Amino acid sequence: MTTMAILTDVTRCIGCEECVSACRRTNDTGSDAPYRWQGGVNDLSSTRWTTLVETGNRNVRLHCRHCLDPACAAACPVGALSRTEAGAVAYNPVICMGCRYCMVACPFAMTRYEWESATPRVRKCILCYDKIKAGELSQPACTAACPTEATIFGDREALLAEARSRIAAAPQRYIDHIWGEHEVGGTSVLTISDVDLTDARWPDDLGTGSRPELARKVLHTVPYTFFGVAGLMYGVHWTLERRRQVAAAEGPTAATADPGDEVQRNEEES
Amino acid sequence: MNEANNTRLIVTKAVLWFLIGIAAAVAVARYLRGLGATTALTDGTPWGLWIGFDVLSGVALAAGGFVIAATVHIFHLDRYHGLVRPAVLTAFLGYLAVALGLLVDLGRPWNIWRMIVFWQPDSPLFEVGWCVMLYLTVLALEFVPVLFEGLKWERALRVMRRVSLVLVIAGIGLSTLHQSSLGTLFLLAKDRLHPLWYSPILPLLFFVSAIGLGLMMVAVESSTTAWLYHRHGEWPVLRGLVRAASVVLLLYLAVRLTDLGLRHQLHLLVQPSWYSVLFALELAMSVVIPLVLFNLPSLSDKHWPVVVGAFTGVAGFVLHRADVGGIVHLAAGGETYLPALTEILVSVGLVSGMALIFLFFVERFPVWEEAPANPDHFTPPISDPLTHNYFGGVWFGRAHLAAAGWVIGIVVGMVVLETTTTGGKYPPAVPTRSARTVAAVRLVVDESMPASLLFLGNEIAPAQFPEGFTTALLIDGDRAGRAVLFDHTAHRDRLGGEASCNLCHHRNLRFERGTPCATCHADMYRCTDTFIHDDHITALGNNASCGRCHPATEAVKNRASATPCVECHRAEISQAFAEGRHQCSTDAAVGDIACSGCHGVSAASDPEERADRSEIAGIAPGYRLAMHQLCVECHCAHESKKAIEEPVMTRCGFCHRGVESEIEVVPDDGIGGRPVVVAEGFFQ
Ligand code: SF4
Ligand code: SF4
Ligand code: SF4
Repeated sequence: MTTMAILTDVTRCIGCEECVSACRRTNDTGSDAPYRWQGGVNDLSSTRWTTLVETGNRNVRLHCRHCLDPACAAACPVGALSRTEAGAVAYNPVICMGCRYCMVACPFAMTRYEWESATPRVRKCILCYDKIKAGELSQPACTAACPTEATIFGDREALLAEARSRIAAAPQRYIDHIWGEHEVGGTSVLTISDVDLTDARWPDDLGTGSRPELARKVLHTVPYTFFGVAGLMYGVHWTLERRRQVAAAEGPTAATADPGDEVQRNEEES
Repeated sequence: MNEANNTRLIVTKAVLWFLIGIAAAVAVARYLRGLGATTALTDGTPWGLWIGFDVLSGVALAAGGFVIAATVHIFHLDRYHGLVRPAVLTAFLGYLAVALGLLVDLGRPWNIWRMIVFWQPDSPLFEVGWCVMLYLTVLALEFVPVLFEGLKWERALRVMRRVSLVLVIAGIGLSTLHQSSLGTLFLLAKDRLHPLWYSPILPLLFFVSAIGLGLMMVAVESSTTAWLYHRHGEWPVLRGLVRAASVVLLLYLAVRLTDLGLRHQLHLLVQPSWYSVLFALELAMSVVIPLVLFNLPSLSDKHWPVVVGAFTGVAGFVLHRADVGGIVHLAAGGETYLPALTEILVSVGLVSGMALIFLFFVERFPVWEEAPANPDHFTPPISDPLTHNYFGGVWFGRAHLAAAGWVIGIVVGMVVLETTTTGGKYPPAVPTRSARTVAAVRLVVDESMPASLLFLGNEIAPAQFPEGFTTALLIDGDRAGRAVLFDHTAHRDRLGGEASCNLCHHRNLRFERGTPCATCHADMYRCTDTFIHDDHITALGNNASCGRCHPATEAVKNRASATPCVECHRAEISQAFAEGRHQCSTDAAVGDIACSGCHGVSAASDPEERADRSEIAGIAPGYRLAMHQLCVECHCAHESKKAIEEPVMTRCGFCHRGVESEIEVVPDDGIGGRPVVVAEGFFQ
């Protein structure tokens, strides 16, 4: 199945926040409250899955970027977060145990938490996958609501081509970069812009390597480490034990020697 | 001296129970009110002390178990034999603390079992979960011989002896894995950890430091119990232990600094910042101070350097875990995390609980191999196969002291909660201030460009304004220095001149034409009561006036039993209605109106409580809510009518443009003073 994606063209956004209110309505996120733990009124929050930040006098949409190799899903020990076939990174509160490792792992810090609740959930954009799958929506609420088509939904490859052609058609207007094409292994939320997006959660040092790969390399050594260490320990034990027996068989003096001396000798030899 | 007279033991136990009491109270609140109310965690820094200390440090402190087990059972360094059992017990309790700590920290702890059944090999936390579970089992099995020995179950003991080598080896393997996998956990957090702490070799650093920490922890535990029970302690072997720890610490230091050097981050160390100070403190405590104390030849015949060094070292590595676990996480919004008092109290209580369990076991079972110096301290366990009463006897010596400590702890915990946790859940009280009048103007530079607002200074009389200049209000309700620039004249003119005042200004105090909104909406986020009792007392003649409103002397003096406001204020109210300043949806005759319907004569007298019950009629809502309703409603209505190309009036940023409210006033030399651009953007 093809990967679906969102392409946002910063130059077309008029900052109307139609996407924000469409998301709020559709996903029934509730209204914002100025809680202590939020980054600010305009920041993402458990009730605000998408928001606009201003950078370089432009409005830039923020929401979960639906990484192709999502760090949040790799982090989740119970599989509450997972990438659907269509490319959305979905969340299932029923099995989530609330460790918030996903929040620590997200390279863009896009996940939010219901800190005020006694049964808290992780909250983030889910690419409206549930409603699309159920046939209630043909595209995410936010892209449908955008009055200027600044943010559009489609097949990732097609959107990449579209982005490239827009940049090629007006090279003086755009920065020649598609944010999300390669960052952290690629994301399903692509952005083109005429201003630099470093401050819109696209830090310079992201790199193109996927985050889960960092841990995967280590995790794949787990069985080898375990059996390696266990084998080594058994080897040492066996050798020392054997030496002790040999010493005991060789002469009564050694056998009756103070075990402390024996230990001392072993220490020096090893 | 027997246990009943061992004051330090009795007092220590009472204090431990006290700390457990506090933690219990906080833990209950955490389950009822959620994490937001009981921690300092934020969306930007979602992990804190309960991960950094309870989980990361709990595991690391337990490292002594596998290190000593390896030393004795694998490397046959038999003189450390006496340390094995206490170390294994410490390790078991460390892991128990991890499990309990997780239950407090997890948002949805009832789902923790899914971590075991769900196979997620990509998740380092999944590996940690499995290792904790397996190793806890192994440790329990390693420790049961002690119980069997105490209970004199010879056959079970023989079985356990036979599998002990397998257990030891499995334990070492598992420990190696997940001491390091706690480091692996943070490999995923590359974008979140400060570069002084993030490293691709975090697993190695965690493993090496765990060995050093584990060794020092054994020394801490051994010397503390020696003091508590007036034992001789294992001083000769402890010295050997800390020598070994020194080697590990040196190795750790070398690896850590080399790693920083290879990643070209050494320059961060010399930059003065909170992080470089923290890093230096951490290294000094965990490595430098212990190394010096353990190895200075002039100190080698004393006990205290071993104790002080081990304590400092343990604290230093705990700080390291707390740092990596939350303190050095960088939030996108720049916020940083420091644990709340409530978090610290829970962690301390957890450790206290583990300490008590430790004491329980050493008092009942042959945990120490040496014959106890004072046999009176130790109650042999009672093993009665009929009643299954294995742990009978008087454990606590002075049970009433312990119980008292616990109860006082709960009370103190609840007091602490009241002052710290509600502030976490609800936005803090922020006194508001009224808007300031400034002279400002919309200057259209170019039809296609955003306009600039020019600020001319407070002192210029409107008569001197040049063409197009007008007064404007700077509204900065929360004193955050970010004001909303409000063009009052333009609004008034657009809404119909003088007649339009009451569209926005719904109420003035007596004898005032323009009562600032902040007078009644006195808090940014919380509701305020509009009835001011003190003002009435003063106006009506102090103490002699009580009877005016509270005529029935026998009745409780509250609002419900007081004379209705309308009795005195009838005339005013009629006039207010006549002028259209008061509106009433029921159109009722003035005499029938209950003032409380609008003016906050409510039962809730506690401001905290009122904040939570804003629906109570008559309480003035917080400033933010009042302003937003006032403005946003109209803006929304207009939004639907406006032309497409006009700015979007319902967008937050339309009003909240980050205008600095503390504007420097420009010298007033007529209008010639250089105008200051305070904001650029679309202004109507
Ligand atoms: S942006 Fe963050 S939350 Fe969204 S998929 Fe990527 S890692 Fe997960
Ligand atoms: S908080 Fe929930 S969704 Fe996030 S990693 Fe933990 S279990 Fe998974
Ligand atoms: S895709 Fe759906 S969930 Fe995501 S921001 Fe848009 S409307 Fe909200």
